[in-house]
Amino acid sequence: MRSLDLKLTRDLWRMRGQALAIAVVIGAAMATFVMAMGVHRSLTQTRDAYYDRNQFADIFVNLSRAPRSIVDRVAALDGVAAAEGRIEQYATLELPGRIEPTRAIINSVRDGGASKLNRLVLLRGRGPVSDKAGEVVIDKAFAEANGIELGSRLDAVIYGRRSTLEVVGIGLAPDYIWSIAPGELVPDASRFGIFWMGEKSLQAISGRTGAINALSLKMERGASEQEIIRRVDAITGQYGGTGAVGREDQLSDAFLTSELDQLEAMTKVIPPIFLLVSTFLVYVVLGRMIRTEREEIGLLKAFGYSNFAVGWHYLKFAFAIAMLGILLGSALGWWMGRSMTEQYAEYYRFPFLYYRVSASVFSSGSALALGSAAIGALGGVRTAVALTPAVAMAPPPPPIYHAGLVERLGHKAGLSTVSNMIVRHIARWPARSAVTVSGVALSLGLLFAVLQFIDGSRAMLDNYFFRAQRQDITVSFIEPRNEKILTELASMPGVIRVEPSRAVPVMLRHGPRSKRVAIEAADRDNRLTARVDANGFEVPLPTAGLMLSLPLARQLDLSPGDLVDVRLLGGRQIETTMTVASTIDELIGTRAYAPSATLDRLTRDAAPVGSAQLLIDPAYRNELITDLADMPVVLGITERDTAMGLFQQIIDENIMSMMGFYISFASAIAVGVVYNSARILFSERAHELATLRVLGYFRSEVGIVLLGEVALLVVLAVPVGCLTGYWLAQLMVTMFSSDLFRLPFAPERSSYGIAIVVILVAAAATALIVARRVARLDMVRVLKARD
Amino acid sequence: MVAGPARTPPSKAVHYGKLRNAPWRGLFYVHTMPVLSDMKPAESRTAAFIGQALRKTYITGETEVHALRGVDLEIYAGEVLVLLGPSGSGKSTLLNIVGGLDRPTAGQLWYEDADLTAMDDATLTRFRRANIGFIFQFYNLIPSLTAEENVRLVTDISDDPMPAAEALELVGLGERRQHFPAQLSGGEQQRVAVARAIAKRPGVLLCDEPTGALDSVTGVKVLETLADANRELGTTLILITHNAGIAAMADRVFNFLDGQIASIEVNAHRVSASGLVW
Repeated sequence: MRSLDLKLTRDLWRMRGQALAIAVVIGAAMATFVMAMGVHRSLTQTRDAYYDRNQFADIFVNLSRAPRSIVDRVAALDGVAAAEGRIEQYATLELPGRIEPTRAIINSVRDGGASKLNRLVLLRGRGPVSDKAGEVVIDKAFAEANGIELGSRLDAVIYGRRSTLEVVGIGLAPDYIWSIAPGELVPDASRFGIFWMGEKSLQAISGRTGAINALSLKMERGASEQEIIRRVDAITGQYGGTGAVGREDQLSDAFLTSELDQLEAMTKVIPPIFLLVSTFLVYVVLGRMIRTEREEIGLLKAFGYSNFAVGWHYLKFAFAIAMLGILLGSALGWWMGRSMTEQYAEYYRFPFLYYRVSASVFSSGSALALGSAAIGALGGVRTAVALTPAVAMAPPPPPIYHAGLVERLGHKAGLSTVSNMIVRHIARWPARSAVTVSGVALSLGLLFAVLQFIDGSRAMLDNYFFRAQRQDITVSFIEPRNEKILTELASMPGVIRVEPSRAVPVMLRHGPRSKRVAIEAADRDNRLTARVDANGFEVPLPTAGLMLSLPLARQLDLSPGDLVDVRLLGGRQIETTMTVASTIDELIGTRAYAPSATLDRLTRDAAPVGSAQLLIDPAYRNELITDLADMPVVLGITERDTAMGLFQQIIDENIMSMMGFYISFASAIAVGVVYNSARILFSERAHELATLRVLGYFRSEVGIVLLGEVALLVVLAVPVGCLTGYWLAQLMVTMFSSDLFRLPFAPERSSYGIAIVVILVAAAATALIVARRVARLDMVRVLKARD
Repeated sequence: MVAGPARTPPSKAVHYGKLRNAPWRGLFYVHTMPVLSDMKPAESRTAAFIGQALRKTYITGETEVHALRGVDLEIYAGEVLVLLGPSGSGKSTLLNIVGGLDRPTAGQLWYEDADLTAMDDATLTRFRRANIGFIFQFYNLIPSLTAEENVRLVTDISDDPMPAAEALELVGLGERRQHFPAQLSGGEQQRVAVARAIAKRPGVLLCDEPTGALDSVTGVKVLETLADANRELGTTLILITHNAGIAAMADRVFNFLDGQIASIEVNAHRVSASGLVW
């Protein structure tokens, strides 16, 4: 080994504590990067392979009822590679011992489970025989959640008719990677199943012989999606087409994409924070190292080592630390990614989920880590290169101190001599002090931003379930009903109040922009549902015209007072123009609202009730649910408390995994920063501290000089950290928002508190470890040497 | 010839902590102090330190270094004592032990009636705080504090100190008290160190090569200041030096060799610091 490399390894060993502290921060960057990128790529590749192998369609449209021949007309369109029609039929299941309603969507497939598009993957058993009544394949998650085995029989009400289904297979399909029961907010595999049934038997059960109600198609490469959608809508309009949508509006794909976008956002926000801190740390530590090794550098150069050799030597020191971080982080990130992927496998249903982190993820992460270390090292290396032997071998000029502004104020405030030492030292090394403050502030900010995420989810939960939804049960109907159903429901035992609600699918168009949404109708005197904005305030419906959620208004470039073209989808193709009366800053979805009267005038139909909200007497709950489930017109029964519980459960699960993870990572930053700044401080002040001991200062008093500076910087970092966190949380809220939902910025005050306490504890514990060195201070040896 | 070791601690006990209350420890008690010419013979004077069979062994790696090999000594209150000898002869080790910075491996050391060898770290710290003023070759000033603040470091924790400004006046630096160490010459820095050491009116001043980093003119100035403190405050002054010339200002000189006191010289006539040449 060359002697410089020998020096390098010994330096690393001597400074192992500091090197490790930096490596941990780099490791955290690497780990989050490898995890997020690894999971992102694994999911993307899995999804793409799955879509490809199973012919996931590009465009989807739902209809009321259309003849099968429509499929050929669509298939003949320019740019359409393949088209397929099917029946999608909701069913209510009666699982033994369960009162809560359980639903399934049954999709028709050809004999043996075959289809051209959205192909079923059979995991176990076989596909249904087309004309054998009641044979179904059920999705894996539903089977597992309810303990259903091959050969099980399920009682179901389909299209108002009771029938028995036999489970012949268990499978998955690419159009249901993620699924949720209509009207629900939270997926629940135990209460919503995806079933596949032979075409003929489903036609027979649902009374749709020779007809379909769903169509999907695959485009030829290079075809225009918009153009095909326009043409498909023209064909399907008369059959009650609710408007064709591309993949971005297909529920399963939309959620998966939103999740992938969040992962990508994570790689853009979190690793850079860690890398920034590690750059700071390398800058500070290497800077100090080069100052103390000044004479050695002079000596090396005097012996004939080139500037390059000396510069490279110190750069290698930074790289060695980075490499350690890369190794630690890669292993940790790989492992975290695997457990995260396993977690995803619970929510997203893939037949296979390959967790593979490609070499390019490791190499790009490593390049980033090495790059930040190099940037951090640059200042120090430049100093080392620029030193001439003669200058380097002479002792450095003594540090010049000044009585600064802080101190003149402090003098009036009666600052002690020891306080002056602390304040002047901070002022003497402003860059390093700034690194300590900003590093600790970033760790606090990061932790706060993550805690705010949980607060935001809770606020959304509160906003939606407590403020906006006041009903106990939502009952949805197979088809819109007339108002008689309300009287019928109101007369049931235990029902206290009934309110109708209705959602009408429309296409809104403003200039070149268009968006397919559902207009939700409500009466101004509704009490069970309300429209609540992001701040929790109820926003009244306009007396006439539309109220749009803010994201929707922005997408369509609409403001109150503007006119928007409205085309009804499904059923009659009515086109009209409506006024945007107001907007509402909502958290969930892109939605539109109108008073019932306005919507009734638009639809001109006599069946205005799509679903009903019930307020009930809890004592009658079980009885009522059973009665409702027995009503043939009822499609689904959603209980608010169950949905809220599920949502709460998801948040809690996330809290458990996220909290532990981020508390340790944010603490790692605080520990890395405080440890290094305290160690540097100690090595710089060892002489002074020993002098104080000689002069008769006790260890504790000397410890205060050391800890006082760190403490002051950490305390300064607290408000900066709160501001950083405030800003970072806003950034994360923006980056993580999607069409589907938007987390509010609604931090609990306790989140600031928790973040502050965690960081202060981490900082204090670290500083105390360094302070123990005061006890071991060798007064005699230190004082014998020139500083 | 080695001074006879005291077998028992001095019977007339004065607790070291009470020393600062002794009437002769006032600032300008020059008239109550014995003048050099009528000092009593050594045997009848009060001992400040009594050491018995002091040994100090350092273990560095696999080798043992015997820095002190059984030293018996008596240091008298108010005397000027110079420790002379080559590097590694044990004089610094003795100074550190006497100053409470280090402990002997074996043997005993009393200051007044207090057994320094039995003290724990906190008690030793308290002992230094109350009784000892240190002056080092490299000044050891705190660079971030002005001259006055460096002195205040000590007066802040002393019971009956002189004002910092006054200590600086005593060493002739009253005008420069707002300067930082980097703005002072080496000699000035050392005089700040002297002011810092005498400001708490210590019973003992320990100086390790106080003029080692200074030219002779500046060195003499510093030594004058130390001699003044000895004369005016009655402070016991123990000086380490390589410089035999300085020995002329001492009452006694301990010559060190190989971890032992090889000989003790008693100066019949002390030369004043201003008269020193080297």
